[in-house]
Amino acid sequence: MMKEWFFGRGGRGRGGDQKGTIRSFFWDFLVLFLLLTINFFDSLGWTERLVFPPYFKHIIFLGLIYSTLTLSLNIIAGFIGQISLGHSAFYGFGAMTSAVLTLYYHIPYWAAFLMAGLFTGLVGIPLGLPALRIRGHFLVVVTYGFAEVLRIITLNSEFTGGPAGLPGLQPPSLLGKAFNDYGPTGKEAYIIAALLLLLSLVFLVHRVNKSRVGLAWGAIRDDELAASAMGINVAYYKLLAFTLAAIFAGLAGSLYAHYSAFFSSEIMSSNESILILTMVVVGGVRSIPGSILGAFLLVLAPEGLHYLKDWLGLTFDPWQVLYGLLLIIMMRFRPQGIMGKDASWWIWRRDSRQAKLSLRKGKKGVLPT
Amino acid sequence: MVILQQVVNGLALGGIYALIAIGWTTVFGVVGLINWTHGDIFMIGAYIGFFAIKDFGCGIFTALGLAMLLSGILAWLVDRLAYRPLRGAPRLALFITALGASTFLRNMGLILWEPHSRAYPEVVQTKVINLVRWGQGTITINSLHLLIIIASGLVMIGLQLFITRTRVGKAMLAAAQDMEATELMGVEVGQLIGVTYFVSGLLGGAAGVLVGVLYAIDPLMGAMAGLKGWAVAVLGGVGSITGAMVGGLLLGVAENIAGGLVIHGFSLSGYKDAIAFVIMIMTMLLKPNGLFGQKLEEKV
Repeated sequence: MMKEWFFGRGGRGRGGDQKGTIRSFFWDFLVLFLLLTINFFDSLGWTERLVFPPYFKHIIFLGLIYSTLTLSLNIIAGFIGQISLGHSAFYGFGAMTSAVLTLYYHIPYWAAFLMAGLFTGLVGIPLGLPALRIRGHFLVVVTYGFAEVLRIITLNSEFTGGPAGLPGLQPPSLLGKAFNDYGPTGKEAYIIAALLLLLSLVFLVHRVNKSRVGLAWGAIRDDELAASAMGINVAYYKLLAFTLAAIFAGLAGSLYAHYSAFFSSEIMSSNESILILTMVVVGGVRSIPGSILGAFLLVLAPEGLHYLKDWLGLTFDPWQVLYGLLLIIMMRFRPQGIMGKDASWWIWRRDSRQAKLSLRKGKKGVLPT
Repeated sequence: MVILQQVVNGLALGGIYALIAIGWTTVFGVVGLINWTHGDIFMIGAYIGFFAIKDFGCGIFTALGLAMLLSGILAWLVDRLAYRPLRGAPRLALFITALGASTFLRNMGLILWEPHSRAYPEVVQTKVINLVRWGQGTITINSLHLLIIIASGLVMIGLQLFITRTRVGKAMLAAAQDMEATELMGVEVGQLIGVTYFVSGLLGGAAGVLVGVLYAIDPLMGAMAGLKGWAVAVLGGVGSITGAMVGGLLLGVAENIAGGLVIHGFSLSGYKDAIAFVIMIMTMLLKPNGLFGQKLEEKV
């Protein structure tokens, strides 16, 4: 049941029985309803004080932004099986583009938002190019290096504000009213925007996965050589995945920058990339609900542990220690993540040396087929 | 003349990069893993050296030995606790484990030693030694730089002797070529991998102390320096020790020249950290085998 709570069985393809549709979408509606309740309850004005404080809404917004990032990284990491540690570069580049466009060229926010997606998509191509030649953990290091170079350039150029960043970004507006003026905490409209962005990505990934493109991605993931022998244009589909992921990460970055009214090169740091990859690994490979679950878990966990810290009177943040351990434990016991489909993305056909070793030792390790 | 002086200044940094890079390359050669924790082992080595000198009053060479030993043991422990349960698993799973272990070690460093930077006490008297007199100018070398060049040279010679002259070293070379055949020859591969991590930890610790002699240390330095070490290893050709030495010296000199370079009133010093990554990406794309490397089997 958990596996199907986002796109229930009935909603999936032609085979689903019509009767079960409502029931199978139950969990999706419940989650959506919960989110909207949290968002709008205070707007009704039933209570004297705010039931959901601004900080709580901030966490919800962050969770939605990270869900978008995680799902977009899942396109690269899950669907074509190329792990990238350069995702924060897309995120930061989108933020930078819309910050620069609105500050220096006074372009209205929504135009800048779209252009952030467009330009970041274009950046996705050069980052996708190495993926055509390099694979496995070499690609991880190259994408990491790419993101670092971009961060260092951003940090050092006057144009992007250098280390001080670009403060005072204008908030997005709708119907002549700034986003900050909607609702009692000023975060409601942002949450809706982030939710719409996430839902459009969910829809896209879900549809694409069922289409010819999704099948091609699956073929490339399982065996690149065989895929190209079957006439699949490997380069095209790989670049497509990188571009799609980049576009959505860029859009999320733009929204986040204008939400916090501030851009700094900090959000391009490798820590962000590692965090997003951890969300994919924890949540689940190639799983849409898994990506969202992973993002929310890793956004909420530090907050929860923060209270634990105060409660126990610790002098350090326990999250710092647990974070690294979490990756190790996940790899040890459930490499495909909480809701992941299967561990097949870890398998490299030409990883034969390791595979043979495990075979001889009689281990049950995953073997190439 | 100025350029030549910068080259001499870059040698010390280059020696340190070479040490880090050899640490990466030994593990990669034998196990086939990009050991992401190497940078953090290097950072911990620097701190061990710091406390040995500051709190226990050790000399620089005692501190160097101590830091090498302890970081070696730490690297072995990381292998034992984090990597060994995954032996036989695909390398990407191992790599993500390494990423987790690295985050863990780094954050432990942050908790234990706080995120501010510290400087080593003066270990040798800083003197400027004239090397060559050439017309008007002289080429000078700092005594600290000289110490680093000598120490890193000694460590590299020691490693070379260990690998080519001892049975364990020869077994490592053999395992780098063919793990399976090595095992059939009666080598206990599990132990050999442990020894490999230990050796890489030794090198990381040595590099850490030598960096501390020259620069301030902080718990986050492992990320950048470690990755530069990997860039150097790639440039020299992964798995090649000579390549790592040459690559390290090249990067050290290049960074030093870029740090002092001003083009049209535009200083490059802020961008010098990017050089390593640009070199790495270019090498990966254009000449994946590096300068001295053998063909990588990772490629299709």
